[in-house]
Amino acid sequence: MTRPLQALPSPPPAGGAPAHAEPLGAWWAEHSGPIYRYLRFRVPDPDTAEDLLAETFVRALGAADRYDPSRGPVRPWLLRIAQNLLRDHLRRQGRRLQVPLARLRDLVHESASPEERLLWEEEVALLTAAVRTLAERDQELVSLRYGSGLSTAEIGELLGLREATVRTRLWRALGRLREVLAR
Amino acid sequence: MTGAADDAGMPPGLDELARRLDAIAFEPRASLEAEIAGRMRRREPLKGGPARRPLAHRGAIAAGVLAIALGTAMAARRLAPATVTVDRCCFDLDGGGDADDGVVARVGRDNVVRWLSIYEDADRSGALSRDDIVRYSRDGRPMLREGQPAGLSLHGHCCLDLDGGGLADDGVVVVGLAPDRIVAASVYERER
Repeated sequence: MTRPLQALPSPPPAGGAPAHAEPLGAWWAEHSGPIYRYLRFRVPDPDTAEDLLAETFVRALGAADRYDPSRGPVRPWLLRIAQNLLRDHLRRQGRRLQVPLARLRDLVHESASPEERLLWEEEVALLTAAVRTLAERDQELVSLRYGSGLSTAEIGELLGLREATVRTRLWRALGRLREVLAR
Repeated sequence: MTGAADDAGMPPGLDELARRLDAIAFEPRASLEAEIAGRMRRREPLKGGPARRPLAHRGAIAAGVLAIALGTAMAARRLAPATVTVDRCCFDLDGGGDADDGVVARVGRDNVVRWLSIYEDADRSGALSRDDIVRYSRDGRPMLREGQPAGLSLHGHCCLDLDGGGLADDGVVVVGLAPDRIVAASVYERER
């Protein structure tokens, strides 16, 4: 990047670093990936997942001064915000048909070749579409476990269930998912 | 990726499916953190809202709101500024590989772009400021800064609120010449 093409008409007033900058940087680095993957398991396109992720962080940062670390870690709190936003989104969306473009542009894969990447994209599209055919409760368990990477104990805390119950329900959900994929 | 400890005792045949699900990794676009920081800095209102009210309530409320809105719309239109200026950052709009470019759009009440500038956020402030470098500016009419040099590439970003309407349904398309030249730019509204 080299010299300016022209001078600026009217620069805005300078200001210090915003108060939210610190929690955003730290929270984003640690939690954005797991929360995004949770959302991405639940919605079919990256644009919607990114909108919901951004809204989750904007709401969390807006309430950051009310967050009390002694009441629990940040991630479950962020996930609860994401869950509420997702629920609202799904309710608003209703039965509207959506055909997203660039469906898997956000898929991370260290493929040795374009062919491998294509095969993996097909498999991921199949798996995530199958997850979204499950009942709401099953989708939630699979997305929290394999999307956000929570342990069954953490899922239990988040959903108010015993860990053993989470495991049983999760495995049943996987069984139903396997049936969907076998059709 | 999750650990395998939680999968201990999993019924046979499900472990392979769990492994495939566990291998799926998605990442949001790299510029999203900067966009959120920008929204916080500008104190943009939250999107979405509470669950919708029942239809009967909505009808009654809508009638009241309509009456008030009709009365105030004319006054608001007279009082509203003729144009709104929107600054969004940071994306790779010149093909240089770094998400360090911003777009400033001045848009009229008729949603027509009156002025468009693409700048490099040289001081990483997340907005147009004194130390930034303006790469391209035009008025309301799309135009090429210079002929048509070889090696042009098309870059864009969607979706942002570039017309001040409150919805992130606008995109910007830029014709650039890597690493830092921009020869044309345009703003469009995505059909929902």
